[in-house]
Amino acid sequence: MNGYGFLSKGQATLFAIASLCGALLIAASILLSLTHAWGNLLIAAVFLVTLGLGGAMFVAFSYVSGAGWSVAFRRIPEAMAMTLLVGGIAVIGVLAVGIEHYHWEPHGEPGTFWFKLMWLSPQFWLVRAVVYVGLWAILAFAIVTLSRRQDRTGGAELTLTNAKVSALFLAVAAVTFSLACFDWLMALTPMWYSTVFAAYQFAGMMQAALSAIILLGLALRKPGRPLEGIFTDEHLHDLSKLLLGFSCFWMYLWFSQFMLIWYTDIPEEIAYLVPRTEGAWGAITGMNIFLNWLLPFFALLPRPSKRSGKIAGRIAGAVLVGRWLDLYWIIIPSLNHGHVATGGTPVVGIAEAGSMLLVLGIFTLLVARMFSKADAVPSADPLLQESLHYHL
Amino acid sequence: MSSRHLIYASFAHEKDLLEGVRALRRAGVKILDAFTPYAVHGLDRALGLRPSPLTWVCFLCAMTGATFALWFEHWSLAIDWPLNVGGKPWNSLPSDVPIGFELAVLLGGFGSVFALFGVCRLYPGKRARLVAPRVTDDRFVVVIEETDAVTTPDFVHALLEPHGVVELEERLAEEKQPW
Repeated sequence: MNGYGFLSKGQATLFAIASLCGALLIAASILLSLTHAWGNLLIAAVFLVTLGLGGAMFVAFSYVSGAGWSVAFRRIPEAMAMTLLVGGIAVIGVLAVGIEHYHWEPHGEPGTFWFKLMWLSPQFWLVRAVVYVGLWAILAFAIVTLSRRQDRTGGAELTLTNAKVSALFLAVAAVTFSLACFDWLMALTPMWYSTVFAAYQFAGMMQAALSAIILLGLALRKPGRPLEGIFTDEHLHDLSKLLLGFSCFWMYLWFSQFMLIWYTDIPEEIAYLVPRTEGAWGAITGMNIFLNWLLPFFALLPRPSKRSGKIAGRIAGAVLVGRWLDLYWIIIPSLNHGHVATGGTPVVGIAEAGSMLLVLGIFTLLVARMFSKADAVPSADPLLQESLHYHL
Repeated sequence: MSSRHLIYASFAHEKDLLEGVRALRRAGVKILDAFTPYAVHGLDRALGLRPSPLTWVCFLCAMTGATFALWFEHWSLAIDWPLNVGGKPWNSLPSDVPIGFELAVLLGGFGSVFALFGVCRLYPGKRARLVAPRVTDDRFVVVIEETDAVTTPDFVHALLEPHGVVELEERLAEEKQPW
């Protein structure tokens, strides 16, 4: 063991180089456009923190629903949850250096805007981000710590305790995640709002988290790795089903938001969609729908492809790219204030490559490290046997 | 049609049933069907059932529904009687999507349910014909066809004895589908 868990030394070096290249590319892109570089850092930070939060939510959902099937590979989403603090600090840092990109000041007319003025005051806004991340991290770490303690003490009581902690976590996270989406993403366009925005982001977050669990599960079940013979096709099948479901959920909410705005065509609402669908951005919209719904839906519909590591793994990879593109689609047009009508031209340049590499490298290294800090299987969980012998 | 010899083997526990079914299949005995009070996990695999084609029925019905809805909306709103709704173009795909989705769900759902009814020969007023009364309560029944001279009740009994068969009955079936 070299501290990078299931990664060999070569692989760990590779991912470290990827993160380094990502950071350097973003740094280099500052010379081209500071705004663009910052936007890509925000994409990376939000992507990273929602991968952690999505993993924590997966664990919490399993505890609250008393699910047995997912116990055998629970250490994967737990390791993801343990990355929350790094992602959270990243997001707070990015927000702190980018306050000027949240253009609420020019809209601060009296009247109906007084609440937003108060709510979006930079100090309160930044303190809230710290509170959200703090709450998520504390509760997620509590869940993971209890789960790991059970390895040593055994007994069913900790499972029951964790179900309660998970319920608390879900209630807290439901509210704070919604507010975080409003604060971090929707406030980039402060005069525009969407009531399904948080649900839409939740769907995207879970899609990405499930894809990450699938890819990590497939990587960890290779011969000689800790989950060999433990992460089975049955687990893969159910994860693929959930991915399929969350893809449809994402599409449903994306379209709900899109169609109502398109239909009513009110200037202050349509001002959000026009820069994101006109011209070259139309292709990005199409690509977003293709990667997040069309491809996973039709590819994962047949039973054999849900159980095939080759197919499900590739779809999971595509969905992760789609999640990145969805964040790109939300964040970048808001930053191009000089070209509101067109949203500027979508660029896929060094900053974009940088933020993708950064997420890939940092997340993989962190997860590998966190995974190695506990037993690969929660051996004392009372539901473990059910999960090991699980058949659909 | 000549009558067929069928053997009805009853078990008291699902574990016995699963092991019994596996033993029968190992011996090459033809199992017609199994009847259980509830869905038994792993029974479909033990019986060697092919994956149900019902999913494809559902998929094709849903695609038919979506295609029909999109075509009909386009035809009625843009071709046959163009309607100006909110100044939108005639052929506005976003406004057609909800109905397309609804009809996909509707036809997919109804298609699968009616296909299931058809395959199971279920219709309103059909009289339930149970292979054994207790199959709705606490008995698990496997129906075996005597396809050759070897498959006799004695042979089957010897096979299932170690797996705790509680009852073995031979019946003559006149119809193609005796239940």
